[in-house]
Amino acid sequence: MSAGSLVARRNTLARALLYAVLLTFAVIYLMPLYVMLVTSFKPLEEIHQGNMLALPQDWTFAPWREAWGSACIGLECSGVHGYFFNSIKIVVPAVLISGLLGAFNGYVLTKWRFRGHKIVFGLILFSCFIPFQIILLPMARVLGILHIANSTTGLVLVHIVYGIGFTTLFFRNFYASFPDELVRAAKLDGAGFFTIFFRILLPASIPIIVVTIIWQFTNVWNDFLFGVSFTSGDSAPITVALNNLVNSSTGVKAYNVNMAAAMVAAVPTLIVYILAGKYFLRGLMSGSVKG
Amino acid sequence: MSFLHINNIHKRFGETHVLKGIDIAIEKGDFLVLVGPSGCGKSTLLNMIAGLDDISEGDLLLDGERINDLHPSRRDIAMVFQSYALYPSMTVAGNIGFGLEMRKVPKAERREAVRRAAELLQIENLLDRKPGQLSGGQRQRVAMGRALVREPQLFLFDEPLSNLDAKLRVDMRTEIKQLHQRLGTTIVYVTHDQIEAMTLASRIAVMRGGELQQLGTPQAVYDDPNNLFVAGFMGSPSMNLVNARITRDAGVLVARIESPSGDVTLPIVRDRAALETWCDRDVILGLRPEAITDPSSANRQDGEIHEAELEVELVEPTGADLYVVTRLGGRGINARMRPGAPLESGQRARFAFDVSRMVAFDPESEDRIRDVEKASAEMPAAALDVS
Amino acid sequence: MSKPPSSRGGARERLQHWLPRLVLSPSFVLVLFFVYGFILWTTYISFSGSGMMPDYTWVGTRQWSRLWSSWTWGIALHNIWVFGLLYIVTCTVLGLLLAILLDQRIRAEGTLRTIYLYPMALSFIVTGTAWQWFLNPGLGLERTMHSLGWESFSFNWLIDANMAIYTVVIAAVWQATGFIMAMFLAGLRGIDGEMIKAAQIDGAPTWKIYGRIIIPQLRPVFLSAIVVLAHLAIKSFDLIVAMTGGGPGNATAVPATFMYSYAFSRNEMGIAAASAVFMLAVIAALIIPYLYSELREPRS
Repeated sequence: MSAGSLVARRNTLARALLYAVLLTFAVIYLMPLYVMLVTSFKPLEEIHQGNMLALPQDWTFAPWREAWGSACIGLECSGVHGYFFNSIKIVVPAVLISGLLGAFNGYVLTKWRFRGHKIVFGLILFSCFIPFQIILLPMARVLGILHIANSTTGLVLVHIVYGIGFTTLFFRNFYASFPDELVRAAKLDGAGFFTIFFRILLPASIPIIVVTIIWQFTNVWNDFLFGVSFTSGDSAPITVALNNLVNSSTGVKAYNVNMAAAMVAAVPTLIVYILAGKYFLRGLMSGSVKG
Repeated sequence: MSFLHINNIHKRFGETHVLKGIDIAIEKGDFLVLVGPSGCGKSTLLNMIAGLDDISEGDLLLDGERINDLHPSRRDIAMVFQSYALYPSMTVAGNIGFGLEMRKVPKAERREAVRRAAELLQIENLLDRKPGQLSGGQRQRVAMGRALVREPQLFLFDEPLSNLDAKLRVDMRTEIKQLHQRLGTTIVYVTHDQIEAMTLASRIAVMRGGELQQLGTPQAVYDDPNNLFVAGFMGSPSMNLVNARITRDAGVLVARIESPSGDVTLPIVRDRAALETWCDRDVILGLRPEAITDPSSANRQDGEIHEAELEVELVEPTGADLYVVTRLGGRGINARMRPGAPLESGQRARFAFDVSRMVAFDPESEDRIRDVEKASAEMPAAALDVS
Repeated sequence: MSKPPSSRGGARERLQHWLPRLVLSPSFVLVLFFVYGFILWTTYISFSGSGMMPDYTWVGTRQWSRLWSSWTWGIALHNIWVFGLLYIVTCTVLGLLLAILLDQRIRAEGTLRTIYLYPMALSFIVTGTAWQWFLNPGLGLERTMHSLGWESFSFNWLIDANMAIYTVVIAAVWQATGFIMAMFLAGLRGIDGEMIKAAQIDGAPTWKIYGRIIIPQLRPVFLSAIVVLAHLAIKSFDLIVAMTGGGPGNATAVPATFMYSYAFSRNEMGIAAASAVFMLAVIAALIIPYLYSELREPRS
C-alpha cells in the first residue's frame, strides 16, 4: 500500500481542492498540444485575427497537405515527407542492430561472466551519459573518411554506436534477474552458447525487448544533434527538417503549416507512447536508476 | 575401483578456500547425501561434479575416468535444481525432451522417451502445459522427469525439496526413495535438512566449512559421530551434550556429571580403553534423547541401563512421545519418555540412562574420544583407497 | 574466473569458452573507439592549434585561455547555471507535489499520469516549436489574453534578452516534470504502508507524516532525479535551438550551443573541443560517483 488515504476521504472540501489542482495541471500539460493541433487546422488569416485557444471556425487540412508535400525547406519545396521517410530509414536498422547487440552484451555480462566483466560494463554504460559534443568533431571526420557523411547510413552507424550503452543496460539488468540455474540446466542438457540464448533466454525476454525498442525508437526518432551535425539537405531526419522549416527567416511565417509539420514529427512517438506507455515508462526508469 | 571418486578436491574463489581437500568414494547404486549448514561447500562440490564449477585442485573420477575437464554435457550426468530451472517458454514435454533434442535423438524416439518418463512420474496429463501453469509439486516432477529421461550414469539433486511445503516434501521424499530403489541409479543429493539425509541416504557425507566431517551410513553417522559438530547436527531433537569428569569409582571407570539434585555417576562401557587415558580430566558426553528414558520403557536387552533420580524442569508432550527436560552438567537436557508418563515440572523422577550409547568428546579439539580399532573401521573408504 | 579448458577439452569446447567474449567484442571495440578514442582525440585537439581543419601542433592551453576569455562562453556558463538550477529545482518540487497529490487514491489516476508524462515522448524540437508559438508575443498567449479582455497583459520574454532563458526553463520543465513525478510516485508506492498506519495511530497529522516520515525516505529518488535532470540540462541543445536559436543575440547561449557554433559555423575546432571537454568533465564528476553507487553490488 502507499501513503494512499492520507488526505481524509470524508473531507470533501480537501478532496475537491485536490482534484481541482490535478485537473489544472492536466489542462496546462495538454494546452501546448491542443494549441498545436487547433492551429494546424486553421487558415492563416484566422490565426492572425485572434485567439489561439479558439477552435477553428473554418476547418482546413491545407496546412497538413502543405507541410507534408509542398512546404519549402531550404531551397526544396516538397514538404517534410521525404525527411519523415529518412527518419524511418534511420530508425529501423539503428533500433534493430543496437537492440540485438545490447541483448548479446547483456547475456554475456550476466550469464558468461569473465574476469573484468564489471569494468567492461562500466565502460559501456558510461557511454550513455557523455555529452555528445565530445564526439561531434571526430565523428564528423570519421564519417567523412568512411564516405558516409551526409547520409542516412552514417546516422544509422552513429545511433547504433551510442545506443549500445542503453540497450546493454536494459538487457543486462533484465538478465541479471533471470535465474542462473536455467542456464546451468541447459548446459547440462547439452545446449551451447547460442542455443541457450535463442531457445531459453530470448523467448522469455519479450518485455525487455519491447522496452528497448520503444526507448531506442523514441531516442533515435527525436534526435536532433546528430542529425543537424552530420547531415544536410535531403538526407536530414525529420527533426532537422522541422527546425529548418520553423526557424527559416525568409518569407511570411505560416504558423499553421509549422504546427502541422510539428505534429507530423510528433505523431509516431506519441502513438508509441499511447499504445505502450507502461513500457515507455519502464525504459525511462531503468535509464535513470538500476533495474 | 569406486564408481564416483572425489579425490582430494579443493576449490578456491580468489583468496577464499571453499573446499579444503574433500575425499569421497561411492559405489554404483549408492545414494550419497551431502549434508551440512549453508556455506559448508556442499553445493559447490555438487556443481563441480556437474562440471558447472571448475575444480581448483584434485581429481574427479567417474567410473574410472578422470572427468575434471569434461564439458558438463558430456559427463552423462543429469541434475535436478533447487529452483527446478524449468525453461519458461517451453512446454513440459519440451522441457523434458530438451536434453535429448540437444543430443540429436530422433523425434519419434524422443517422444517415446518423454512419454515413458512422464508415465513414471505420473505427469502424462501435463505434457502440453507451460511451467507457469504448474503447482510446486508438479514442477518438481517435471524437473525430475528432465533428469530421468536421459538415463544418465549419475543423478545430482541440489536441495530439490526445499521449495515445497512440509507435507509435499515428505511425499516427494518417499517418491525419490522409491525411484532410487526401482531404478537402482547412483545419486548425489545435497540438502541442509538432516532428516532428509537420514531417510534417503545409503551414505551420508557431513560437511562443515569446506571440510568433510564424516562419511558413513546414516546409522553410523547417527550413532557413532566423529566429532561434536556431527553429533549436534544430526538428529532432532539433537544429541544432549553435557560436561562431565572421568574418574575412577571403586575401581570402575565412570563419568561424573553435576546436577542440582546431586552428582550423577554413569559407568563407562563404550570406548573404555581410550577413556582410561582421560581419567581425572573433563570431557563432553553425548547422549541421544532416546537413550534417556523412564525406567519402564528402557531397553534392557540391547542396552546397559543405569538409573538416576533427577528433578523434572519442563514437560513437552508431542503426542507420540513425551520430552522431559532436566538439568545435568549445567545444561538442560532432553529425555524421551513414554507418552502419558505421570510427570510434572518440579517433581523428582527416575531417569534411565543407556550408557552403551554414550559417546565422549575432547572439549578442546571437539573430536570424538574413541577406541583405536573402532576408529579405523569407520574411516572413509576413500581415504583407504588413496593410501 | 574460469580457466581455458585444457587440450583434452577439444576445439569445440575451446570455442565455447571464447565465444562469449567474441560476441561481446564488436560492441566493446565500437565503444572503445567511438567513445573513448574520440574523447582522447577531442581532448588532444583542445590542446592543439586546430581551427577549420585539425592541426596537430601542440599549443598548450592556448585554446583553453581563449575559451575562458570568450564573452559568449561566459554567457553560456551563466545561462546553464541559471537554467540548470531552475530546471532541477522546479521539476523536482513540482514532480514531488504531483506525485503526492496523485498518491491519494485519485480516480482516473492512470489518465492523469498519462497526461503528465506524454511530453517526455516528444522531440525537443517539437516542444520548442510548440512553445515558441504558444509564447509568441504577437499572436500567442499575449494576444489571446488581450482578446479575452485582459488588455494590459504583456508577455514578451521570448524576445527579451534578459528573460528569454526563462521561457526555455518553462518548456523544459513542462517536458520533464511528468517523468520526475513518475519516479517519485514509484518511490511513494514502495514505502511500507504499515509504518504510515503506525504514524497515523500515533496521531501524527498528514503534513507531518509526509515531512518527517515519507519524504526523508525518498532520498534515493531525489538523488536519481537530480542526477538525471542535471545530466539533461547540461546536454540541452535541441530545445534552445528550436525555441530561441540561442538568441536574441547570444542571450540564451549554453555550452552545448556554444560548442556547436564554434565547431561548425565559426570553424574554431580547438575552442569547440575545449568547451566539449569541459562539459564532459562536469558530467563525469556528476555521473561517475552516481553510477558507482548505483551499480555497486551488495556483497553477500
